[in-house]
Amino acid sequence: MPSISSYFSLAYLGLLLPLTIVVYAAAPQKIRRWALLIFSWLFFWSISGKLIVYLLFSILSVHHIGLWLSMLQEEGDRLLKAADRGERKALKAQCQRKQRMVMTFGACLHIGILLLLKYGPFFVLNINRVFRALGLHVNLTVPSFALPIGISFYTLQAVSYLFDVYRRKIPADKSMFRLALFMSFFPQIMEGPICRYEDTAGELWEAEPIRFQNLVFGAERILFGAMKELVLADRLNLLIQNVFTNYDTYDGFVIALSAVCYTLQLYMDFSGTMDIVIGSAQIFGVTLPENFRRPFFSRTISEFWKRWHITLGTWFKDYVFFPLSMSKPLKKLTSRARKRLGNHFGPLLSGSIALFAVWFCNGLWHGAGWHYIFFGMYHFCLILIGNMIEPLVLSVTGKLHISRSSLPYRCFQIVRTAVLVCIGELFFRATGLRAGFAMFRKIFTNFTLATFRDRTLFTFGMDQKDYLIVFIAVLLIFVVGLLQEKGIAIREKLAGKNLAVQFSAYYALVLFIVIFGAYGSGYVPVDPIYAGF
Amino acid sequence: MDKRLIEILEEIQPEADYETCKTLVDDHYLDSLSIIALVAELEEEYDIMIPTVEIIPENFNSAENLWMMITRLKEED
Repeated sequence: MPSISSYFSLAYLGLLLPLTIVVYAAAPQKIRRWALLIFSWLFFWSISGKLIVYLLFSILSVHHIGLWLSMLQEEGDRLLKAADRGERKALKAQCQRKQRMVMTFGACLHIGILLLLKYGPFFVLNINRVFRALGLHVNLTVPSFALPIGISFYTLQAVSYLFDVYRRKIPADKSMFRLALFMSFFPQIMEGPICRYEDTAGELWEAEPIRFQNLVFGAERILFGAMKELVLADRLNLLIQNVFTNYDTYDGFVIALSAVCYTLQLYMDFSGTMDIVIGSAQIFGVTLPENFRRPFFSRTISEFWKRWHITLGTWFKDYVFFPLSMSKPLKKLTSRARKRLGNHFGPLLSGSIALFAVWFCNGLWHGAGWHYIFFGMYHFCLILIGNMIEPLVLSVTGKLHISRSSLPYRCFQIVRTAVLVCIGELFFRATGLRAGFAMFRKIFTNFTLATFRDRTLFTFGMDQKDYLIVFIAVLLIFVVGLLQEKGIAIREKLAGKNLAVQFSAYYALVLFIVIFGAYGSGYVPVDPIYAGF
Repeated sequence: MDKRLIEILEEIQPEADYETCKTLVDDHYLDSLSIIALVAELEEEYDIMIPTVEIIPENFNSAENLWMMITRLKEED
């Protein structure tokens, strides 16, 4: 089997996906689910080889621990039913303690494997640095592990399943293979979205027949995603690689431009991949959760994170933010602080502790590097400051008679949010924290338009024609986004038109990709960015 | 509907109309921080334990749903 490097590769779009669709369509209902599972494992094995054992171990252990929890819950319920009213409270606490221990064991096991494989070398490297700083001559051997694909994604799915069984939100699944399909489904295992068991496991196992409408809608979404990647993300790649690798040879204007281009590339790569992933799943009749909702229309950083990588944000909210802020010590702090500091700053004090944990984990989740942790802390500070100064902003805008819902004010907020996001992405993409700061400093200390005036700007990886194509594609995506913001369902609208209009739209999009796609000699396709996290 | 519940809600977020609004979370009247404050206050006022599993938009979208959650948790206790 040819190697699958990303969801945009010919091996995926031209071989694995069509082959799975054909086998799935030809197979009887009871076989379809097995076909999905076998192709999912084949996909995993074709990329990670024998590392598939990590995935299989996760499936086995999650299934077993889920059933263990369920057994303890049933046993606890039986004992509580038979107990006297006076004994119930103590018995309930005892049963819950047991269940919490099992759930914690399961969560620690999975997070522990992820920490060891992904962060082990980073931790040891930093321990050695501390030893050196203390003048100790101890040098621990830095381990090196091969990472199975999607481990950051399927681990979070596994932990959410265990939490949800523990909280009795879902019953433990008796079928190990249904759970296996939920964790291994090939279109989403490499880059998400991070699904919840109750949202997708049933639909996947049901294995509905392929419907014409789903096939058309799915293919349209895949085509749109391919356009984002091939026309935009890949075209921007040379400029970004050049500037971020040799940042010391470029001035502040070029660095600022490349920070904007990288933000655009990351959005196009990740949201384009999500279009392919969600479109692929739709063909099989499975509705995966959306990961993006036009993030660059956001007016604040908090709103941005409700529209960008949505499933990661909701995962951290449900399994880190609320459990922490609802813990006994923080609840007490909230109550006390609210009485002393009022309704705004009181909850903010305890909320900021939980928020810190969320953004530390969010930064670290993206990779083992200090610049990723800095990226998390940067967004933590922005959200915290945004919340802290909100009463002041309300008062100032009120006194100046500025309408917060007016178009100019909303545009100002949108542009300000986008600039703050681009600064964060500069650090995110930089080769290290030191490089990030050096690049950021250059924007202010070495800003000159000389490269634009003498036209050398067009020799760094993108010429005038490239910029024009990027502009047209961004405009197209902006118009589509604007229509979606207004609640217009474009695919449904197109389906209502006659065949001539529909096919004209398909041909136009295909031709746009074929003519303006950045492929062939002279271009280096971007590696799937989120698959590396 | 409990009068005290409306008072607590108005203390935390005075801008919403709690008699009619059914989209307190969906329309961002109650954000994560208001929910933290609300849970701490409700637990103290009604002597209940609100587990994390109950922190879902459906329970917090209207005063009526909140009251239903409170009475259910009181009964379970």
